[in-house]
Amino acid sequence: MISVKNLYHSYTKDEKFAVDDVSFEIAKGEIFGFLGPSGAGKSTTQGILTGLLPLQRGEVRVAGYDVKHIKRAMFNEIGMSFEQSNVYSKLTGKENLEFYRRLFDVKTREPRELLDLVGLGGKGDIKAGEYSKGMKHRLTFARSMINHPTLWFLDEPTTGLDPAIAAQIKNIIKEQNRKGVTVFLTTHNMFIADELCDRVGFIVDGKLLLVDSPKNLKLQYGEKFVEVEYLKEGGLAKESLSFVGKEDIARLKTILDHYEIQTMHTKEATLEEIFIKVTGRELV
Amino acid sequence: MKLWYSFIKELQLSSKSWYFYIEIGMACVLLLILVFVIPAESDDKVDEYLYAGGLPRDYQELLYRGILDEEDEPIPGKRVEIEVEDDSYEALLFVTDTRNLYFVENLEAVRTLADKEGAIGIEIVTGKEGSLIYRYYLQGYESLKLKNLYRLLHNDAVNPEFIRRHLEVQTVKSLGEESLSLNNKENVLPVFLTYNGSMMGLFIIAAYIFLDKQEGIIRAYAVTTSSIWHYLLSKVGVLTVTMITTSLLIVVPLMGFEVNYLNLLALVITSAFAFSSLGLLVTTYYRNMMQSFGVFYILIVAMMVPSITYFLPGFEPRWVQWIPTYHLLEGFKDIIAGGGNGPYILKISLGFVLGGLLLFVYANHRFKKTLTLS
Repeated sequence: MISVKNLYHSYTKDEKFAVDDVSFEIAKGEIFGFLGPSGAGKSTTQGILTGLLPLQRGEVRVAGYDVKHIKRAMFNEIGMSFEQSNVYSKLTGKENLEFYRRLFDVKTREPRELLDLVGLGGKGDIKAGEYSKGMKHRLTFARSMINHPTLWFLDEPTTGLDPAIAAQIKNIIKEQNRKGVTVFLTTHNMFIADELCDRVGFIVDGKLLLVDSPKNLKLQYGEKFVEVEYLKEGGLAKESLSFVGKEDIARLKTILDHYEIQTMHTKEATLEEIFIKVTGRELV
Repeated sequence: MKLWYSFIKELQLSSKSWYFYIEIGMACVLLLILVFVIPAESDDKVDEYLYAGGLPRDYQELLYRGILDEEDEPIPGKRVEIEVEDDSYEALLFVTDTRNLYFVENLEAVRTLADKEGAIGIEIVTGKEGSLIYRYYLQGYESLKLKNLYRLLHNDAVNPEFIRRHLEVQTVKSLGEESLSLNNKENVLPVFLTYNGSMMGLFIIAAYIFLDKQEGIIRAYAVTTSSIWHYLLSKVGVLTVTMITTSLLIVVPLMGFEVNYLNLLALVITSAFAFSSLGLLVTTYYRNMMQSFGVFYILIVAMMVPSITYFLPGFEPRWVQWIPTYHLLEGFKDIIAGGGNGPYILKISLGFVLGGLLLFVYANHRFKKTLTLS
């Protein structure tokens, strides 16, 4: 669905690349997470893929279209939900969607249905300018589905949403994906990436350092361990012990044999921990 | 169809914005000024205050008659009271075709009127051998030419009869084409149409665009199958509709059916298109109104220069004609005066269309390159 080969982009049109020799492919029906800290090159890459930024160097094909010579018909295939809500504040939620549906050449979804889907059913006739930040974000998200996209670009889709709404949004993404929609998810939230993505790519300073599934990454870079709390000399002691090292396994046996266990949890490395391990950078 | 939908949406948005109503409101204010404040014909009579109280009464009568006999018909005088701040002065007023002559009863009145009211005051006294001496109370800014003219006028060495006879045999011929004559209201109309109408598009479209930039609307529009030029042209369309509305709001009540509305609309539409396109282009270089303000300020001041030429025809250097508003003012003037110079209007309109098209195409090119990420 997406093919990127040796992509470069420089805002200053010199050798200072915001995107530096990035290559990857995304299959139809896949949820691909593009992960990295702020300023890593995520939005620039997404901007090029969606035609918002000109392609300077490299080969990019999106939904079967060559991005070097973008045809407007490409946008019938794609949906884009922006990180920062960008809706007409003087129009109502329904009017916003009614207007945008007319800008596509394909069958579009009913605004009311979309508003209901994102929990704005009763707010469709209120001006978007009077919406809260989260409501505007949901309207932007709903708008990105108006043309039944087969390729869906989502930029931080749950940022600023309360947990219940975020869960609702994640369910919509999963549901759309089940229907065959390919998702390109840009985020620095490793939990949502871990939960939703089939594969993730780590990008730092414009370079794509790694692409793999979260499961493989955990197997390759993660280390399973157990966190145990037990009573020792009248107080509470806590230890984290690996499942891999012999010493840690022996120590765990000792604790189980000689102390009263209060809590014990098995844990695996999070994507965030793996990201830090691989890139040496925090996700800020 | 997408262009139409965009245009309708822009109309809907502008009807919900202040700018639209400010424009309409301003047009109403200008109309009220034209109707109630600016007189159609100006009263360009000069008020002159003469004091000749130092002369014998009989001599005064002779002097008055002498001055008034210069007029074609005998004019009756009337007693009036002139009030200056807290003082009031008696005077005998004679109204002629060219001036209001007040013969005041004391010198203090002449001095006060010259001092407080900026009026022309004249004191007439007798000199040696009974000759008359005219003492003028001027404001100080009068030119040397005028002062010399006064000196010449009252110099006995110059024969006034000779000057009068000489003037009467002179004929004045206009070498240019027949000049268009406009009354005061009509004369101001082209200026209002140019600056509150067509040229305002330059500024207001920038306000609309920067508002959209702030809301990130253009990026959302850019990922639809509709082209950016649809978005831009629908903005220009809205501005054009606004300009047509404001222009007609001013012209129709004042001129009725006396103007060629086809020519007027051609000029309003094409100039609104050109100036809006210029505004669009400027917005591609800046992120907000504050950043672009300097450029708009320079552009607006530059566009206002031809209004100097309009009101002072003596100042018409060739470079002024390169400023588009020069032709816009002349075009509107021709239309308002009923000059019927269709080819000239067509030529100007065509110029605005071509210029506007170039600016629009370049603005569209720059928008595609720059606006989407702002």
